[in-house]
Amino acid sequence: MNQYTITNTLRTILFSMMGIGLLCLVLTWMGDDHSHTRFWSNVLHNSVFFTGIAIMATFFMAASITAYAGWYTAFKRVFESISAYLLPGFIIMTLIGVAVYMHMNHLYHWADDKSVATDEILKGKSSFLNKNWYLFGTIVIGAAYVFIAMKLRSLSVAEESAHGEENFATHRRIRTFAAMFLPIFGFTSVVLIWQWVMSVDAHWYSTMFAWYSLASLFVAMMCLVALILLYLRSKGYYQNLTKHHMHDVGKFIFGISVFWTYLWFSQFMLIWYANIGEETIYFKERYDNYPVLFFGNFVINFVLPFLVLMRNDTKWKNGSLSFVAIVVFLGHWLDFFLMVKPGVLHTAHEVGGHGAEHGATEAHGHAAEHVSSFVQGFTFPGLLELGTMLGFLGLFLFVMFNALSKTRLTSEKDPYVEESLHHHV
Amino acid sequence: MAHKEVIFGLYNDEQDLLKAVKKAKAGHMEIMDVFSPFPIHGLDPLLELEESRIHIAGFIYGMLGTLTAFLSMTWIFTKDWPIIFGGKPYWSVPAFIPITFELTVLFACVGMVVTFYIICGLGPGVTNPTLDDRISDDKFCLAFDKAYVNEADARALFSATGAAEVNSKNL
Repeated sequence: MNQYTITNTLRTILFSMMGIGLLCLVLTWMGDDHSHTRFWSNVLHNSVFFTGIAIMATFFMAASITAYAGWYTAFKRVFESISAYLLPGFIIMTLIGVAVYMHMNHLYHWADDKSVATDEILKGKSSFLNKNWYLFGTIVIGAAYVFIAMKLRSLSVAEESAHGEENFATHRRIRTFAAMFLPIFGFTSVVLIWQWVMSVDAHWYSTMFAWYSLASLFVAMMCLVALILLYLRSKGYYQNLTKHHMHDVGKFIFGISVFWTYLWFSQFMLIWYANIGEETIYFKERYDNYPVLFFGNFVINFVLPFLVLMRNDTKWKNGSLSFVAIVVFLGHWLDFFLMVKPGVLHTAHEVGGHGAEHGATEAHGHAAEHVSSFVQGFTFPGLLELGTMLGFLGLFLFVMFNALSKTRLTSEKDPYVEESLHHHV
Repeated sequence: MAHKEVIFGLYNDEQDLLKAVKKAKAGHMEIMDVFSPFPIHGLDPLLELEESRIHIAGFIYGMLGTLTAFLSMTWIFTKDWPIIFGGKPYWSVPAFIPITFELTVLFACVGMVVTFYIICGLGPGVTNPTLDDRISDDKFCLAFDKAYVNEADARALFSATGAAEVNSKNL
């Protein structure tokens, strides 16, 4: 079976997931404060997470093509299909950008003109952290990513029907686009992460942050790939893959989890060691008010994959690999939760609600007193957050499976496909 | 060491060697050993070698390194010679992590190398007889013990599978 078709059962499941997500978004919107902080932060969190996964899938393809890697070619279509989510993902991010532009929410402290006018640090950063950069940066960078991802995809599909082609001309064009993507991705992915995620804590910055969150996204992407492959194999597709392919996917989950931990710890230790108030505030906040998530993150994103996936047979067995993939995927979703929520909550206290009537200093006092208590939907993900995640996952998987069903699962004309089919670790 | 009379064939190509090993297995000839300058893909399952257990030893050495580093630093910085660094508490776990990591890697590596040497009977002053010097350079060698394999059978196999040379040696 080299042609995938979405079954009606799967379509029903995915659409009901989207329905649950939409319902949760509406419920969140209704039970929210007047600037809808919980709603907007949930949308931002999930939108960044799933768009980021699509970006990392594109990066993985581009890097593998440029590096002459052949092992994954048999299931290259999975990565291509994930990258198809780039377009809806960037559209949602653009909508958030428009909302930030129109001052419809209080996600970002730097987007509040009153705060910027009185705050030296925000004023100093305002040449980059402003609504124009946010909206148009997202659009321009997103357009470049979507263009290259679509080129990689369409050329790869065209390659399959090319007859009597000399010298792998189509593949050479794919390689050109893949090589073009790498420097573009290298310089712009960090910009996206800075403005989407890191600027939630507008006063704080870390030079390791972009690496750290991209590693997080990479692991989440590989976990999804493992789960999708296991699902498709259980349905009778991709029978040409062997345990050695799954072994390598497992190795990626294992290896990049360790890399993520290295960055998680390095970022923490340097800031802890230097002991500069402006920097430690990020961790002080999470350490004091989010200890379960902060340390739980480390356990499920490092200790679990490290100990379980260390042996080679746990990477071959469907049970252990899918268990780790599910838990680690949720773990990195929680990781992004912890990156986004505390900063948004802080900003909401600073500029939302009280900020309008009171002066900046007084709002600060309020913030300190609110932050230490449990806030629904911020201190720990509630059912609405999980529902929203299911909704985004449903959309993501629908786009992905839809793209997957458009063409054959294994490209037979790719110059590396034979190497991939005989892949042996 | 027990006295051994060995007959061995030298091949120029590892694919020929693989074919010879397959043929020997099919004919139920007991292979003494196979020598190659580099690991040959697919040779281990052919020879029915067990998976090496050295990585289990490596894990234990690693854990030993982790404990050594962490417990010794804990003892040094809280009991033996407490010093305040940069206003941090005596027991500053984050500062211990890099050294703990380094010692874990060091113990695991050195432990595995030493274990490997002991298992292979290597060490300073030990001389191991080799069948032919070129098996560490460009020749692939399949060796039979004459006590278990008929010499005529072995020669027939070597000539049928295209061995470049056939030699005998007493070890």
